[in-house]
Amino acid sequence: MYADLRFEVVFNRSGAAVNGEPRDGSESENAAYTVSVHVADRAGPAGHGQTGSEIGAIAGRSTKLVTELHRGLDEAYERARFSARKKAELIAHLGDAARGLLVAPLPPREKVRDDVDASYRRDPRSLSTDELKKISLDASHQVAALGDAIAYQVVAAMTELRREIFIDTAGTVVSQAYAFSQGDCYVVAQIGDGHQETYDSIGQQHGLESLSDGWRGELMPNPDLAKFCVELATEARELAAAPVLKPPEGEVVVVTDPHFNGLVSHEVIGHPCEADRALKMEAAYAGRSWFLRSLTDNQRGKQVASPLLSACSDPSLDGYGHYRYDHEGTRGLRVMHIERGIFSGFLNSRATAAVLGAEPNGSARASEGWHVPLIRMSNTFFLPGETPPEKIIAEVEHGYYVCGNQVPSISESRENFRISARRVYEIENGQIGRLYRSGSVIADSKSFFTNVDAVGNDLRLIAIPNCGKGQPMQIKRMSNGGPTLRSRARLAGN
Amino acid sequence: MRTLAEIKAFTREAARILAREKDLASYEIYCATAEHRIARLSYTSDIPSRGLEEFKSLHADGFQLRVAMRRDPHEVGAAFEAGDFSSDSVRDAIRRARSAAVVDPHFSGFPATPLGKVGASEKSDLSRVGDGAIAAAAWDVLNGALTTFAKRRAEHRTDHPGLIIGGDVSVIRDRIAIFNSNFTEVRSDESAHFNASVTSIIESLDAKGTATALGDSAAAMRREAHVLGRDAVRRALALPDGARPRAGKVRVVLGPQPVAEILNYMVMGSLTTGSFHAASSAYHAKFGAAVMDSRLSLVDDPAFRAGAIRRRISCEGIPTGRVDLIRDGKLVGLLSNFYDTNRMLTDEHRVEKLGAGAPAKLDFPPLSGYRLGEGGGRRFDASPGSAGTNVVMRARDGVGDGELVRAVGDGIYVGRIWYTYPINGQRAGDFTCTITGDSYVIRDGKIAEPLAPNCLRINANIAQVFEHPLAVGMRPRAATVWGSPEAYYVPAIAAGSIALAEVGATI
Repeated sequence: MYADLRFEVVFNRSGAAVNGEPRDGSESENAAYTVSVHVADRAGPAGHGQTGSEIGAIAGRSTKLVTELHRGLDEAYERARFSARKKAELIAHLGDAARGLLVAPLPPREKVRDDVDASYRRDPRSLSTDELKKISLDASHQVAALGDAIAYQVVAAMTELRREIFIDTAGTVVSQAYAFSQGDCYVVAQIGDGHQETYDSIGQQHGLESLSDGWRGELMPNPDLAKFCVELATEARELAAAPVLKPPEGEVVVVTDPHFNGLVSHEVIGHPCEADRALKMEAAYAGRSWFLRSLTDNQRGKQVASPLLSACSDPSLDGYGHYRYDHEGTRGLRVMHIERGIFSGFLNSRATAAVLGAEPNGSARASEGWHVPLIRMSNTFFLPGETPPEKIIAEVEHGYYVCGNQVPSISESRENFRISARRVYEIENGQIGRLYRSGSVIADSKSFFTNVDAVGNDLRLIAIPNCGKGQPMQIKRMSNGGPTLRSRARLAGN
Repeated sequence: MRTLAEIKAFTREAARILAREKDLASYEIYCATAEHRIARLSYTSDIPSRGLEEFKSLHADGFQLRVAMRRDPHEVGAAFEAGDFSSDSVRDAIRRARSAAVVDPHFSGFPATPLGKVGASEKSDLSRVGDGAIAAAAWDVLNGALTTFAKRRAEHRTDHPGLIIGGDVSVIRDRIAIFNSNFTEVRSDESAHFNASVTSIIESLDAKGTATALGDSAAAMRREAHVLGRDAVRRALALPDGARPRAGKVRVVLGPQPVAEILNYMVMGSLTTGSFHAASSAYHAKFGAAVMDSRLSLVDDPAFRAGAIRRRISCEGIPTGRVDLIRDGKLVGLLSNFYDTNRMLTDEHRVEKLGAGAPAKLDFPPLSGYRLGEGGGRRFDASPGSAGTNVVMRARDGVGDGELVRAVGDGIYVGRIWYTYPINGQRAGDFTCTITGDSYVIRDGKIAEPLAPNCLRINANIAQVFEHPLAVGMRPRAATVWGSPEAYYVPAIAAGSIALAEVGATI
């Protein structure tokens, strides 16, 4: 038998304003745990059971807490036993037709002991909620001052501290803390018949200072919340007055900026590099992966992109997806997904690593203390090249400069995508020309990556605050990004 | 999970504590206990798999209180507490709510709607069904799928069939109790329903079939579990080696699942007072106007007899009721909660936002104020938003499936779509998605060969689907949408001139 327990406490403060008026403030704390049990029946096959529960202030009362953890452990254990028994019955009943159910037990590993602190200057617990209300209201006031073209706007600010402890029956004890601060802005602008909805976030694994003063980190800088919101709203106002893109026929040259490429790396590299998806475990929900048809027929070691293109996930970097250990107690490692155009590896959990014959790389993470871990991106991005973005644009005789991501729609195995941009500019003879709204890039993934002929030196990560996966849906924070890229794709308007 | 009696007693006690606070002008205490039990399927014939990948449960009990201050009735604060139903936790939550308070000029107090004659809860036996029944249902799905697959025809047998069975059997149950200083009694509600979906992919045949079920009884869950796995595999086996048509503008039949998915991601969000206030509705300035074909009507009905979701009381304590959203093609109603109703009615730009067709006397009853989590159950820590329950689309002069296909002549029957998003924002109404399974080519008014999954992307606008359909189906059928709090009961719709783009074959 193997069992693990993850226990988490969260302290959160937030504030929100709408149309330059206060709307919300909150101070909250919660605690939760998940237990996971793997047990083998006498007949052989392993069964698995989990329980997750939000327990709040019970966490502060040791007798009640221990009683609750026992209840959860008993429940998960009984589920695992029941599952093992039913699996044995099915194998006995169907024989070879149920051969897929024979899964090897998790390989043993060295126990780990570590304690990881959060990074912040301003402790979310010692602030006043009034500060959160104030910075969101100030930002919303400044957006409102842009005039009547801003039909509606919401600004939200949040800062929180999380601490979790993971223990397992193999002796691992890992304690980790995280500080998250996030600002969100949603704007609807309208001018005449033109309208533009825009939403974006800034986020750091630091204290409120990253919103109130801005953040000057090399990979993921952000202005202060008010400046961020004003820039977003100003852009929305400009776009509401811009024409809708009339898409050209056929493929064209597209230069995509780091913000747009953040969503490309997220949807078309990061997600299909999740081993649970590649191994078909997500087929009913989030789909499969274009990198793996089967254990013998897949893209490992094969050319999937231009030799100029490389991509990786690196949880050690100071991004929104930073962590040291995942929620199975495995150290998070840098994973190269594409090296000079060659596909090289998946994000994995202990179980999926065993199936793939790989070493666990520490990518199994849950969104909340009561959720089971899924395989997740960390800081996932395209690696930079050496070309200045200005040169990449200047070399284009006729094409389009695609800036800022908006909404993605990805095909089932991530082999094709349509991602809308916030701004699309025409490029004529190396010069940026007219601005259009409602433009999207449509491409087959492999074709888009293979056609990359320039990679910028301007790597930037962006915070992705709301990646959904799992059943029920878990919403996870992470970073994605890349440098400016140049490739070929079709464009769509509306 | 706490009993209804427990949370009602706690709500009463919390109300007594709140009533003693002299600086509060008004208050609300909302208590919710919820449980989501999930048996998640994951079987692959050629890759080791667990069968039941996750057999898990999520429990969430807690309360939320909202207080308005005596010194300014627009000064309102909220706080929540998980797990702890003690007097001390109420006092601590009051302290935090005071600290969180903001002066919201649009806060207009708490509802005072009388309870009236609300029927007793129709208690589903799913409210007490245990792990054994849920897990047995999940294994029954898998047994049905594998047994059916084992009996496949000889030409479909290969050493590496690439059979994938995914999906889940889930039971969602919740109980709430609510009181505010305008009420004379603690109001309560409870509901339970199951949701099961099964996806079968046979990679050697490049085929995908699905089956889903919704219901509100343990007997229905057992019955559906017995056939879902079988049905999903049968559908996949009927779709081998599908065609990959060229791009172009094509006539299509959208089956119930695609119609439900388009409604969920593209339409329902636009049918709220909040979206009209935010100027982000796809029907901006079209209230009272024709927004769909005159044969189509759309309602949200928490008491729909065939519906899986039963709610008597909203999460604001207001008796729920049917909301007519679209009647004979005209936009006549919106989902709303108490705050958004008042915000819309006092919005100085409401005439411009609703449009010239809106009636002079506006009424948006706040019948749909729910505090929901990701799984669709009621949560203690969520703020009231507007959501549907059982969304029912009915069609006048509806026709049978054969007639729908004949109306298309040459085109595609779209049985399932995926990743449907408002690509240019909700207000634009533009959407894109890919066709993922259960689909066929239509030729000469008849179903012809299967369509390969994931070979076509739809690029369209909701107006192309709902404004001028070629024909509409006569019977609403149950359909589920991943992650949606609503259950859908919708007909198939035949639409003309939908743009399809090719997706390259990679996997």
